[in-house]
Amino acid sequence: MSYEKLFETNISSESVKAWKASGKKAIGYVCCHVPTEILLAADIMPVRLRATNCVDSSDAEAWMSSFSCSYARSILQYLMNGTYELDGLVQSDGCMMATRILDNWEHISKKNGKSQFIHQIGAPRITNDYTIGYYKTELKDLADKLGEFSGTKVTDEALKAAVAKTNEVRSLIAQLFELRKEAKVSGTEALRIMLAYCDLTIDEYIAALKEFLADAKNRKPIEARARLMIIGSALDNPEYIKVIEDKGGLVVADALCFGARAFGDQLVIDDKDVLGSIAKYYLTRNTCPRSLDNRPAIHKEIVETCKEYNVQGVIYEKMQNCECWGGEAYYLEPDLKNVGVPMLQVEREEQMANAGQLAIRAEAFVEMIEK
Amino acid sequence: MAIEKVEYWRWTESNWKNPDIPDWHGSLITAGVDIGSTSTQAVILADGVPYAYSNMRTGSNSPDSAISAINWAMKDTGLTLEDITYTIGTGYGRVNVPFSNKTVTEITCHAKGANYIYGPTVRTILDMGGQDCKAIHCDEKGTVTSFMMNDKCAAGTGRGMEVIANLLAVSVEDIGELSFKVDEEPAPVSSTCVIFAKSEATKLMRSGWTKEKVLAAYCHAMALRVVRLLERNGMELDFAITGGIAKNVGVTRRIENIMGIKALTPTMDTQIAGALGAALIAKELVEKKRAKEG
Repeated sequence: MSYEKLFETNISSESVKAWKASGKKAIGYVCCHVPTEILLAADIMPVRLRATNCVDSSDAEAWMSSFSCSYARSILQYLMNGTYELDGLVQSDGCMMATRILDNWEHISKKNGKSQFIHQIGAPRITNDYTIGYYKTELKDLADKLGEFSGTKVTDEALKAAVAKTNEVRSLIAQLFELRKEAKVSGTEALRIMLAYCDLTIDEYIAALKEFLADAKNRKPIEARARLMIIGSALDNPEYIKVIEDKGGLVVADALCFGARAFGDQLVIDDKDVLGSIAKYYLTRNTCPRSLDNRPAIHKEIVETCKEYNVQGVIYEKMQNCECWGGEAYYLEPDLKNVGVPMLQVEREEQMANAGQLAIRAEAFVEMIEK
Repeated sequence: MAIEKVEYWRWTESNWKNPDIPDWHGSLITAGVDIGSTSTQAVILADGVPYAYSNMRTGSNSPDSAISAINWAMKDTGLTLEDITYTIGTGYGRVNVPFSNKTVTEITCHAKGANYIYGPTVRTILDMGGQDCKAIHCDEKGTVTSFMMNDKCAAGTGRGMEVIANLLAVSVEDIGELSFKVDEEPAPVSSTCVIFAKSEATKLMRSGWTKEKVLAAYCHAMALRVVRLLERNGMELDFAITGGIAKNVGVTRRIENIMGIKALTPTMDTQIAGALGAALIAKELVEKKRAKEG
């Protein structure tokens, strides 16, 4: 069994160090609107930044107010305190809070004489032919600059090879979700596995995940008092789900940008327009309600997932000061009510200071919905 | 000369035994113990009817509090722990009831308890406890259908009221009535934080406000705060209030006035709702188990 690394919750720099030791570059990215295929095609290791287990963001608080998003602030903390030692940062304007990571890191790294590749891409908040075209030009600009930085030009062939690999990951994650449906993998395990994608090279990840899936399919289903789905703001802490599962719930599905939403369906390439295909895929998939025109579709998908996964209740976790998930509950709750699925709303911060408050709510929710 | 220290926050602890049940022998005895942050209650049922209860302060050691509460409830009843068929622990210290068979959250228990105290028409329950408050919806059986809790703050809770009682040197049990002895209802204190509200109350006293006026402003603020919680969870009549603050008319009447509704009148001590609910659930579980076993 060599898939233990899938369950390492702490941010691991082992793979990054090994990658960089071979003379290649590793670049961090924030938000799943950054197509990792472009970094892979430039022979750069993409490292999705997360703030898991950050317990003190006081350095970052000097740059970002304590009234900002604690997830974004904690990532800045990890950049500042050397948890991440990368060659740069690529970010989309996914949300306003996370965008401040890039602004501040650009300034701080310059101030400290640290050479960094810093680039931001604009991901439009509405989806039509015009905005997909704009997004494609943003991706083209990124591809050119990354190619220049790494010395490996981003070609259509390289992009297609990268897509083949990311599609393999998507297909493996789909298998993981089948196991969640059968209650063979807990929500805590699933999030750990999906977070491991942030720190490992894609080849390491594919190999480890294949091994895990082969083992896990022989498991017996986990007994639980209620089947739950978790939705909401960026959640990169499996312990949060563990608190819920320790109270008798089993999180069988999610709509999280570190979970199911980060992977999605297969990316189909049109050979005539490879970058255009990537742009269309990333802009049209329903990742988070940052977009102005996909929210009804996101709500519908959540409702459909509840039906497909036999979900008895939805936990809606909202990071304090979250711009994207701030008001969705108001619109979503009636849709869920229509299909007989109650929803529990909980507020959270990146640091798990309120585990007890979550536990009591989760336990009462499980008591309310268990059959 | 030593100055006598008066603990204005201290409320009256009590125990009770049902005079209509002369003998519990032959009855199914179940119990619920609710260890809250501020108070602990133990309720004993004989065939689902309240037989005895106690209501006391939670000490620094939750298991000791649970034992003290059940012993006080059993006082003069002839009952021992061995006579209790099933006990459920609830409240924040529910895992610290050494003699419990199971734990259930206070949210579920308060709904069940309120259903017993106020009857099956109750749909919205406001539980105002020692350090949190909860808006709960339930069905005609007292089963929770939705709930919402306040977050991370003692304002709008019993502990907040105790702090103000000590500050103003007014017995916590007199706050409600005194808060109406004002010519005109003052604006609520602006802060929703107990510590800042305390500072604000001190400032108001210095500026010449009477104690009654400060209490009115504080009760008003507390009522507004819980009304927001009720509105977020949705109000459906009938409406009932449980928990220690339910005994404070300064808050309850103001909630009624703000919302333009009337809360149901309790038929027993509202502070025991959680423990009562726990004991009722204990009875249901025993009966279910017995039915299964034939």
